[in-house]
Amino acid sequence: MTTTHDELESLLADQPANGTDRGVDAHALYQRWENQHWAVGELDYEQDRAVWAGLRPFRRRELMHSLAELEVGEASVTATLSSLIEHARFESDQLYLATQIADEARHVKFFQTYLERVIGMDVAAETPELRARTDYAHYFDPELRRVTRRVHAESGNPVAWQAASTYYHLVTEGVLAATALRTTRQLARSLGLPVLDIGLTNVTRDESRHISFGFLAARRAVSEGRGDALAATYTEAVELAATVLVGPQTEQPAPVIRAGLEQRAALLRAMWAVARDRVERQLRSVGLPDAAPATTNAFDRAVGRALDEYAGRWGRPHPVRSVQQLT
Amino acid sequence: MDSNVSAQVRKIVSEMSPLDGHTVTSADRLMEDLGLDSMTLVELSLVLESEFELGQIDDSAPALVTVGDVEELIGRAVSDRSR
Repeated sequence: MTTTHDELESLLADQPANGTDRGVDAHALYQRWENQHWAVGELDYEQDRAVWAGLRPFRRRELMHSLAELEVGEASVTATLSSLIEHARFESDQLYLATQIADEARHVKFFQTYLERVIGMDVAAETPELRARTDYAHYFDPELRRVTRRVHAESGNPVAWQAASTYYHLVTEGVLAATALRTTRQLARSLGLPVLDIGLTNVTRDESRHISFGFLAARRAVSEGRGDALAATYTEAVELAATVLVGPQTEQPAPVIRAGLEQRAALLRAMWAVARDRVERQLRSVGLPDAAPATTNAFDRAVGRALDEYAGRWGRPHPVRSVQQLT
Repeated sequence: MDSNVSAQVRKIVSEMSPLDGHTVTSADRLMEDLGLDSMTLVELSLVLESEFELGQIDDSAPALVTVGDVEELIGRAVSDRSR
């Protein structure tokens, strides 16, 4: 299994745009799963311990924030996938989704092992509080649980199933996780954390299969005439994702030195732009290009509301808003 | 400009640069010559603010290009603070 960084970027970033995965079905995704195994226990976490110990507080904070958001997201999707498996319409989907739940559990285990063995956290004792502080847990997790419970409640109604898959595969994994994995892998490489880089690369490879399944299911819904419902659900989920990315619950370091503040704002805006770009390309890829302008506008409005909420929560503007006010 | 402040700024910048064995000068450019990336520039700002106990700065410079720019900014801020 020798996937390069560039190939992974292509898997996550370009696949939805160029449509090269259109021929992939659930059988093929199952086969990929069989060929792409990796084990959390095979990584040598000691390599990263010394690097982490030498990191300055700001870098530690950035990395911890990213790892916490990724860990809670993985825990949330592990806990909610069963309704999609149980009510999958086709056996091939069910078999593929059963592999995915194993992936999600492996991802939780990877992040927890990293937090424990590299960062020195007492995961059992500290994880509940760590999760509670995340923006994903605050904004997205309750909605993901709501839409996946609805699949059970409505005995697999295809509209409810597709809504849950939209929140799950397209937005949690295809927008939030893909964006977070990309930025965290860049951070791991720049900080010289090889084990984190390898682990995130493995997680990214798994996620590319999950996102491919999300596209498969969404294209099917569009071809069956449920595109409008899908677009409406997608927009709701994207608004939540934009809120999570801004992170009103997380206080941002805001330099008083203007050049530092501008850099901070630029880095955050760049991350949001990656997510927004994915939204646009996903809609094109699933056959709903006409929905893209309204959905990206909804993304932008949600960012604005989240910035307002941040100011209300912390009593001062978010760094991005501070820079906007300077210009 | 206070030479102690300038020396301290250069020391902090040197610690943040990924280059080993390079003596930082005022003329060095932070990104091009010293290899600081965007995130390190944010971190540098926060470290300088903490080190020199800067609350607010009268700062209209959208970019700091050289180490000398940083020395001047911090020197002025320290001087303003002590007035």
